[in-house]
Amino acid sequence: MTLRGFTVLFDPANLRFLWWGFEVTLQIAVWTIALSLAGGLVLGVARFAGENARGNPALRIVGILAGFYIELFRNLPMLLIMLAARFWSHLHPVPAAIAGMSLYTAAVMAEIVRAGLNGVGRSQWEASAAQGFTYLQTLRYVILPQGLRKVIPPLVGQFITVVKDTSYAWGLGVQEITGSGTIIFAKYLNPMETFTLIGLVYFVTNFSMALAARGLERRLARRTY
Amino acid sequence: MTLDAWSQLFADWRIFALGLGHTLFVAALALVFSTILGFVFGLLGVAPSGFLRALNRVYVEGIRNTPLLLQAFFLYYGLPRVHIVLPVLAVGVVSLSIYTGAFIAEVVRAGIQSVARGQLEAAYAQGFGFAAAMWHVVLPQAFRVILPPYTNQCVNLIKNTQILSLIAGADLVYQADTWSSETLLYGVAYVTVGALYLIITLPLATMARWLERRTGAALDIGRVA
Amino acid sequence: MLKRFGFFGMAAFAALAVFIGGVARAGANVIPDIKSRGTLNVGVKADVLAFGYKNPQTNQFEGYEIDIAHEIAKRLLGDPNKINFTIVTAKTRQAMLDSGELDVITATFTITDARKKVVDFSPPYYTSGIALLVLRDSGIKGLKDLNGKTIGFIKGADTAQRLADRAKDLGVTFDAAAFESYPEILAALEAGRVQAFSTDGSILRFYEMQDPKTVILPDRYSNEDYGAATKKGSDDLRDFVAGVITDMQKSGALKKLQQKWGIYRENQAH
Repeated sequence: MTLRGFTVLFDPANLRFLWWGFEVTLQIAVWTIALSLAGGLVLGVARFAGENARGNPALRIVGILAGFYIELFRNLPMLLIMLAARFWSHLHPVPAAIAGMSLYTAAVMAEIVRAGLNGVGRSQWEASAAQGFTYLQTLRYVILPQGLRKVIPPLVGQFITVVKDTSYAWGLGVQEITGSGTIIFAKYLNPMETFTLIGLVYFVTNFSMALAARGLERRLARRTY
Repeated sequence: MTLDAWSQLFADWRIFALGLGHTLFVAALALVFSTILGFVFGLLGVAPSGFLRALNRVYVEGIRNTPLLLQAFFLYYGLPRVHIVLPVLAVGVVSLSIYTGAFIAEVVRAGIQSVARGQLEAAYAQGFGFAAAMWHVVLPQAFRVILPPYTNQCVNLIKNTQILSLIAGADLVYQADTWSSETLLYGVAYVTVGALYLIITLPLATMARWLERRTGAALDIGRVA
Repeated sequence: MLKRFGFFGMAAFAALAVFIGGVARAGANVIPDIKSRGTLNVGVKADVLAFGYKNPQTNQFEGYEIDIAHEIAKRLLGDPNKINFTIVTAKTRQAMLDSGELDVITATFTITDARKKVVDFSPPYYTSGIALLVLRDSGIKGLKDLNGKTIGFIKGADTAQRLADRAKDLGVTFDAAAFESYPEILAALEAGRVQAFSTDGSILRFYEMQDPKTVILPDRYSNEDYGAATKKGSDDLRDFVAGVITDMQKSGALKKLQQKWGIYRENQAH
């Protein structure tokens, strides 16, 4: 590691090149978080409902199907899913990266959501039933809000993981920030400096998210029931 | 996915067998080292000394907030600049161990802290030192809480061997990627490699869920990878 | 409840459809679409000096293949600048052609029998050869010195197999390591992870220039015919492009362009 190795990175053309890469990183991350959160909610609720609904065959089947999807996708390496989205189907590079990452992350989010739902005490169900809520109403108004609040830390942890996982898009030929780094370091022969700088970018982004989540958790915790 | 495509794939079965071998080899070694690292740093996280706890924070936050791929690139391309050229599989083992170790450290720390504080203080009252209290009183109880999320981290570790594919590391994903881009037979390659991964990861994941249910772990920390 | 089920059914089917991929439309006429669109979408390299290179000073594409692409656009749409360049790599070019993102590819794409099954090629417009880039002080003079060593290639190219065939004749075996991009192979060579970097000599020139510690060995190990690729089934475009290349060959325009870019003598077709 040399000083020159670092200063050359701050040449405006290089900074601009890395910044474009970072923009791609953020683009993929934001889309993936949005899509996988939505998908994960649906899948997680579906699997939860299916497991807990006695005597409702349609719900059980829905739950089992959701279960198949979840176990299939979350136990495969994400890069494999992304490669399939890129080369087996005919999506363009960035949409393929988003699609692949979302298909995988939705399965992971689903399990986080399900854990949250499972963590809500039985008494909530009983109290709601006593008030005359139907199963779905209970889910929607009583269980989900509490369950989701419990799992904010692992959910944000997964957002952080998504930001990091965008680096795999390099295997699809997408020039996000890590891939951009390989092009830069090969030119200036400064791999350690380049990757340290890029690592800092990731760290600042992710650590900020983690701190924000802890702040959010604290603020929500004040509103106790 | 024609019959001809499948026959081509099976003719090249050795390539995929080699990929599987490398994946398992790297995963096995990384599992051992990351567990050791994780327990050591996890214990540091609950140490009486503020300095030791700080060590835990720096390691955990620094490693968990940057991508595994970036860390692997740093070792693979960066170390040779200071004349340390690790063989590619060693780069895989080292980077995977350091990365997964950070996650296991968090699992261990949280597990220990979930065991009532009173246990540690009661042990001190009996004359145990920190290390002895940990070994004889706290850890045996924490073990049950740690095991399910630890198993999840093991599954993540196996999937994370995918980084090898981007540093010419001849793991399973690498073989799927290179073989399919040379033969243009994407479908059969991805399905086969996917099936191989599922054969390894599904049993482990199922075991993790069974353990969760058995220990009644209230809240899975979530498969934050 | 059935509504939920239906939704899941559709979602599952959609996911399946994404993975099964699109069905190729055979025998279509694509030229009218290109004409109504008004631009030709061409895939090119950005890191191969003299063939397809993005000049960092001007941020423009320049090179032999760029000029050929301009000529195709001029003859098809009347204006050489009605063109949209997209950077491709060996790994991605096939997929981008199949998906319709690109109409034609002029990106150091070697014509092989295996590829002809899935893509249409024009007659060759250049012939390069597989070469080896090594560190000057490694003492490696040829393929024979690489017995038991590791050679770096790019993912998606069949260079490794073709070189391995030639190596077998010499009784030489080597390990092949495939990387995502050329700069990474150069970095691996510098790091000592591979003892040679192998791809077409035309591509290696840039990397030899970038790192004075490296040198391209004089031998060439196969003939790589470059052709302009079009998607299988777009027959009218295929014939049109073939016509342009053949005409440029006959009129000496190709030779003039090769001389312009200083690659005439390296052309293995002589």
